[in-house]
Amino acid sequence: MRTYDIAVVGAGPAGSSAARVAAEAGAKVILIERKKEIGNPVRCGEGIGKHWLDEIGLKVPPRAICAELNGAILFGPNMKSIKIKTDETKGYVLDRNVFDRELAIDAARVGAEILVKAQVVDIEGNTLKVAHMGEKNEIKASVIIAADGGESVIARKVGINSTATLYDTDFGVEYEMANVECTDLIEIYFGRSVAPRGYVWVFPKGKDVANVGVGIGGLEQPNAISYLEKFIKGHPDRFKDAQPVAVKAGVIPVGAPLETFVKGNVMVVGTAAHQVDPIHGGGICLAIDAGLMAGKVAAKCINEKKVSESSLKEYEKIWRSKRESKHMKRLALRKAVEKLDDDDFNVIFSSLDENDLDLLLKGNYAPVVQKVLLRRPQLLKILSPLSQYGAGELIKAFKDW
Amino acid sequence: MFRLNENRCMYCGSCVGVCPQLALVLDEVKIRHDAKRCIECGICMRACPLSAITVKKE
Repeated sequence: MRTYDIAVVGAGPAGSSAARVAAEAGAKVILIERKKEIGNPVRCGEGIGKHWLDEIGLKVPPRAICAELNGAILFGPNMKSIKIKTDETKGYVLDRNVFDRELAIDAARVGAEILVKAQVVDIEGNTLKVAHMGEKNEIKASVIIAADGGESVIARKVGINSTATLYDTDFGVEYEMANVECTDLIEIYFGRSVAPRGYVWVFPKGKDVANVGVGIGGLEQPNAISYLEKFIKGHPDRFKDAQPVAVKAGVIPVGAPLETFVKGNVMVVGTAAHQVDPIHGGGICLAIDAGLMAGKVAAKCINEKKVSESSLKEYEKIWRSKRESKHMKRLALRKAVEKLDDDDFNVIFSSLDENDLDLLLKGNYAPVVQKVLLRRPQLLKILSPLSQYGAGELIKAFKDW
Repeated sequence: MFRLNENRCMYCGSCVGVCPQLALVLDEVKIRHDAKRCIECGICMRACPLSAITVKKE
């Protein structure tokens, strides 16, 4: 039996960030990773918005940057496109393999212990039963941080209802492909026929290498891989020489965050807590942000010798006051956008140009909405549930990627 | 009856998070299925991005 102040389960961005910040604050921390290699296999599109870096104080290790992005180009089902080049659409495509490992290395540098190939089999109170390299161990910790991703079972084992519903979950699959010509823009393809309730992405990882992936709503059929194959076959010019060098898959919670993040001495963070953007399904920075919050609160409780559900709940309070309102607005937007059919998308994409989008993002939405509604009045039905929010608030919530 | 085509599975864990019965566990390179817990609801089959799972009610 080994004893720690804090055991963090899962060495993704949330877990490694929590472990680092808790170890920095003087706590005795162990970071437990199921896989034999931190960061591998990748289950992600690997895009990250630059505006996040200041917001969460993240320095991306240069080694982890594959490509720099200057904007996005969005396509409707009719292949009409709109370019966006705003500060919010600048970003990087990462090598998550390197990125995740660097975050864990940072945690180790400040004193966190790490186990790899260590499966948490069960949790009983303060004790984790861990199968490490085939040997059964027990790890005792005053605080347990569950950063165990979309497949999280720790939250459920301690009685937090974190079962994802198909409706509020997207499922994704992605090829990393060679011989795909890239620019400095990410490409996003919309449409029910393209990716129902989701989108296809082409994220440049180099000048001729890209992550080409799709995420679809959990209630949609057939499965994600069929949509990806269809998209690639449907764009023979673009992908005629393309060859996959990796295939990746994953689960993306796109609903509300968990009803509670803390139970007893367990704190749930990141994808395990459904802290993922409901619109684009991105979660790297949200995970880091939540991991930092949880790690700081956990270490503070340890240092002050006041570990209890109510003291650990401070993390949840901080998260909700900082993130919840925006998350719920973006969820409302997702629920509106998911009702659009191909014809709706086609009208939107043929009515709007870059200037309109610019106007919209600057908050001058009325002429833009009017332009679309004149051509497709039935969209009013889809937009009307959003009227409970102010348009300015929604645009603000929508702008950040 | 739950069947996993292990040749298609990439251990992404999509099926694990949606299983209402905690009947699936993600090991490093293996999905473990607990037939005693499974109620053959088929949610995992719909979730799997790779169509690696089939579930047939017995």
